[in-house]
Amino acid sequence: MPPKGSKKGHPAAPKQTLVLDNGAYTLKAGLVPGGASAPPTYADCTVIPNCIARSTRDKRTYIASQLSSCKDFGELAFRRPVERGFIVNWEAEKAIWEHEFLQEGEGLRCDPKETNLVLGEKPNCPRELQRNCDEIVFEQFEFAGYYRAIGATLNAYNSPDNSSLSALPQECLLVIDTSYSDTTILPLYNGQLLQSAVRRLTIGGKLLTNYLKELSSLRHYNMMEETYLLNEIKEAVSFVAPSIQQFSKDLDRTWKGRVGDKRPLDSSIVLDYVLPDYERSSHGYARPHDPVKFRMRKGLQPQQGPREDLLPLGNERFAVPELLFSPTDIGVQEAGLPEAIMQSLNSLPEMLKAAMFANIVVVGGNALIPGFVERLESELRMLVPSQYLLNVKKAEDPIKHTWLGAARFASQPELLKEVLVSKAEYDENGSTWLVKKFAGGSK
Amino acid sequence: MPHVEVLPNSASVSAPGWTYVVDRGYDPSKVAINPKDRKRAAARAGGARTDNELSARQQTAIARRIAELSRDNDPKQSIPIPGKIGVPKTQNARRIIQYQRQIKHWLDDEEAQLAQQQAAPEPRRAAQARRVSTMISMPATPSEATPAPTVAPYTQSQSTASSQIDPLLSIESLMPPPLDKAEIDALLAAPPLSYAASHAAPPAPGGPPQRHFCDNCGYWGVIKCLKCGTRVCGLECKDAHEATRCLKWA
Repeated sequence: MPPKGSKKGHPAAPKQTLVLDNGAYTLKAGLVPGGASAPPTYADCTVIPNCIARSTRDKRTYIASQLSSCKDFGELAFRRPVERGFIVNWEAEKAIWEHEFLQEGEGLRCDPKETNLVLGEKPNCPRELQRNCDEIVFEQFEFAGYYRAIGATLNAYNSPDNSSLSALPQECLLVIDTSYSDTTILPLYNGQLLQSAVRRLTIGGKLLTNYLKELSSLRHYNMMEETYLLNEIKEAVSFVAPSIQQFSKDLDRTWKGRVGDKRPLDSSIVLDYVLPDYERSSHGYARPHDPVKFRMRKGLQPQQGPREDLLPLGNERFAVPELLFSPTDIGVQEAGLPEAIMQSLNSLPEMLKAAMFANIVVVGGNALIPGFVERLESELRMLVPSQYLLNVKKAEDPIKHTWLGAARFASQPELLKEVLVSKAEYDENGSTWLVKKFAGGSK
Repeated sequence: MPHVEVLPNSASVSAPGWTYVVDRGYDPSKVAINPKDRKRAAARAGGARTDNELSARQQTAIARRIAELSRDNDPKQSIPIPGKIGVPKTQNARRIIQYQRQIKHWLDDEEAQLAQQQAAPEPRRAAQARRVSTMISMPATPSEATPAPTVAPYTQSQSTASSQIDPLLSIESLMPPPLDKAEIDALLAAPPLSYAASHAAPPAPGGPPQRHFCDNCGYWGVIKCLKCGTRVCGLECKDAHEATRCLKWA
């Protein structure tokens, strides 16, 4: 490595790169050293909540990773700088970035003047927001170099076996990014996004959590303030029914029956979620439904000794994630995910379409819902012409997968050099130029 | 007498999508849009709602509910940033950090801008096209204002041309035609869609009908509430619905 500033006018590029997948729910961040070293792995990625939370009970405010020190999640209110996947509120985002990357402390620290930033964003971002982002990155944080890309496209640099680095992206890849804000369908050709075929569904993890919150509040207790708890419950108990037929069967098995004809609830599906009381426990857990204990809940609890509050979960377990496959169930006028994938690919040439079907990867937190990928594959198989190969794969770690792709991209200096914009270039050309450069020229 | 002419300026251009009009009272052409005699609507041909259509009130309720479900931030309280807030380094940064706008404001802005772009430069673009047609060597500019180039429908001629072997053994009919370089380049050069345009389309009309669920317990909604049209599964849930959620008086 030549010493800094050895070439005139071209100061040596900084050695390390901060790779940041700035999600609405969590930041996925990690430092990637430049030059040849071992390829980055999932372990290099830190997942940080992207929020500022305030508890009305202990009157404390938690910034991002401080949330792990929180003991009482009751009535926790969140402020999220990212709305629908785009960074909207820079006041909060700046506070979080400063808290996580700049201020003194342990963990992920870097000096922006010595660091490149590779920032992943969502597709179809309004230009004004992109411009704001660029201006803050260079004028407020003063990163040395910067590349803003649509995060999901960098998934193309993940190789199937994840062993060696390759400079070439996968030729045809269909990324299904089912995240907190929404679900997007992104066909990639040689690592480039086919912009005209991008499709988005409103249904994301946030909507599922809010829907479960609404259902539980209507049917059992008022939980409208307990977003954190309901998100935890959703992650613990929800599953996707394997098919539409099985969905109806499960719905029957969890039904309480008619007035004169009560049915016992099927305890293979119905669960009791033991709610945390935030005194002895700060997290709840699920266990099979027990009618005796559930009846005891109504007034017959012992005065002394442990009391417990139960939230029974029946059809909520599978009817909530079902929205991904049938958004019309709550009146969202959109096709389900498999049909939306067909809508996206039908605008592409036949050959490309066939290649896309053979290489589908699902990333994002909702992919962790059990049965999601299986249902997607079986429903797609019914829509895809039979002579085409269909291969739907869940990323090994759906949450960190996009970050890993970006990190593998950023750990190859020759790739990074092509796209990186330095602060000097920005100062000379301005933000309008930069927005155009990142929009038009990933080549 | 001096000649006075009102020159068109930017302020006189009304925003796209709406305009002030004079209210001239009863206008038979608008009755169909906003009928006042709702009770007789059923008697008119095509006036009555069919089973699956929703009333305006139900549609508003659904839209409001979806907006509620997909909201990002807590509406009740604004959470201040704790600790000392550093001074923004430049004027630009200060402006951006102080924005209190939400995503819907930005998206509305984008919509309005697109509408203006589509409305305003129409004549100029036509003139440009004429100029281009006379100067054939002029390269096409992949500028951001032009709409996405539509992909030309693919012709199937290439794949059938070279089939010399027994048509029964040929697998060429199963293979899709090879990629066209120009087509790919057009696809790659296409500008990003706007946020609204990238939205998934509603399901195809021939698909399975919309499923209805009980508003109270989530089982199949087989009975319609007579007052508000919400579905319930049985008498028990109907009672619960009427006690709490019936939209009739909401």
